[in-house]
Amino acid sequence: MSEKEKTTDQTELLYGTNLFSMTPHPHLIAGRCKACGKYTFPKYYACPFCFSDNLEDAPLSPKGVLHSFTIVRRSMPGYQVPYALGLVNFPEEVRVMAQIETPNPDKLKLDMEMEVTTGLIRKNSDGKSVISYKFRPASK
Amino acid sequence: MRDVYILGVGTTACGKFPDKGAHILGREAAWAAIKDAGIHPRKIEIAFCGHVYQGMGVGQRTLKEIGLVGQPTVNVEGACGSGTLSFWEAWRSIAYGQYDVALALGVENLSRILSGGPLPLEEDDIEVFMGMGMPSLYAMRAKRYMEEYGVTAEQLAKVVVKSRKHAALNPIAQFRKETTVEGVLNSPMIADPLTRDQCCPVGDASAAAVLCSGELVDKLATNKKPIKVLGCVAQSGKYSSPTKLTCDPSENVSRTSGMAYEMAGLGPEDMDVAEIHDAFSIAEMIVCEALGFCEKGAGVRLIEEERTSLGGDIVVNPSGGLLSRGHPVGATGLLQTAEIVWHLRGEAGKRQVEGAKVGIIETMGGAQPAMDGVTCVVSILGV
Repeated sequence: MSEKEKTTDQTELLYGTNLFSMTPHPHLIAGRCKACGKYTFPKYYACPFCFSDNLEDAPLSPKGVLHSFTIVRRSMPGYQVPYALGLVNFPEEVRVMAQIETPNPDKLKLDMEMEVTTGLIRKNSDGKSVISYKFRPASK
Repeated sequence: MRDVYILGVGTTACGKFPDKGAHILGREAAWAAIKDAGIHPRKIEIAFCGHVYQGMGVGQRTLKEIGLVGQPTVNVEGACGSGTLSFWEAWRSIAYGQYDVALALGVENLSRILSGGPLPLEEDDIEVFMGMGMPSLYAMRAKRYMEEYGVTAEQLAKVVVKSRKHAALNPIAQFRKETTVEGVLNSPMIADPLTRDQCCPVGDASAAAVLCSGELVDKLATNKKPIKVLGCVAQSGKYSSPTKLTCDPSENVSRTSGMAYEMAGLGPEDMDVAEIHDAFSIAEMIVCEALGFCEKGAGVRLIEEERTSLGGDIVVNPSGGLLSRGHPVGATGLLQTAEIVWHLRGEAGKRQVEGAKVGIIETMGGAQPAMDGVTCVVSILGV
């Protein structure tokens, strides 16, 4: 885990910097197999569909659809409950799990359109905030 | 492939025993299984020990307490499927001719490392880092399932009501008090829609089985009726893309049980009793579907029509299952196996499934990003 964290300042850590980008718009970075064209998230070492090791980083569509979600009320140390956690299906046929940023968890509905954002995942034992990709309901 | 029989089984009670290390729980279950088998301990040629959190050399540490030293002892880990994976290892070591007598053990003391809350998972898994615990994963499956099939919170809670009713008749169960739909739904919310009583508890236990080859069964089975292993299959989860994944983790269970049915030459309709991996209320419905006890989406009807309750045509989890007997992870698969053996011998007391001739055991371990479970093991036993 630690090698994936990159210090941005004294109080915040970024997790999974190879998995998302905010430019030119917020999106996730998947793996795409150059042999069979299939996507995985994250990128693996060899393609689970055709065993090619010719894989490349590939951006996912900025928006996906909420397959399911829950409001987590009991979690591991450092995770501030309650928080919404969801599974989002992307057009590239990958499903990604992440926390959902929303002021109105009551308004979350299955199959609604979601977009990528960033935000707090948890606090580390030293009190630093860990920031990474999250989802939120898509803006109209 | 040779015939394999279970000569004996043994278990501890399930509960919180923080003063009993895995080796203390394990020696009790292993010794009970050997006594039940009625063989001299030295007949055991190889031992396997399933566990998840019990540290280095737990099988060796445990078995030295009863003099079982020297023989190969292999520690086995396959998340919540570790106990049945240990059984599968013992079965195949005999089925494929390498040994004649094997011990399968499963041990876990969870209460020493966890007072409550979700099971600690591997942070290298991105989804775990993002805040997923097993309750939240199953909660998302439940949410989708309820929406797709029109299942209500009350119907989910009925799984727990049935489970507690069965467990009330099981002297080794962790929760032996009956409950109601209201009681289940009023327990604290863990991850919507799953309340605390719909999640299996933190607990400790051990269970074991002694297996032997068909060649030796007549000679060795002097104490109890031997139970034949009709099928035994272990399979890992497959990478699944969302187009194939719907709302459930059933691909791994369907595939594994399909292979086990084929090995046994039987189908779901031949099963009299089942012990399945109901780690959460929703799991019982989706596993019953994957095992072929009903059509997809009809798991809820099995509960509503009480077909899986004691007295029904396919009794599921007469022990109380993971929800009520308990889920001491590495021990669970062998607790399930012992339960089925007791039913097939007619030794299950007040919860006996009358005339049970064939039983099935399904255990599902863990979850990986974009995969079904880590490990699924299905065994079919018969008399």
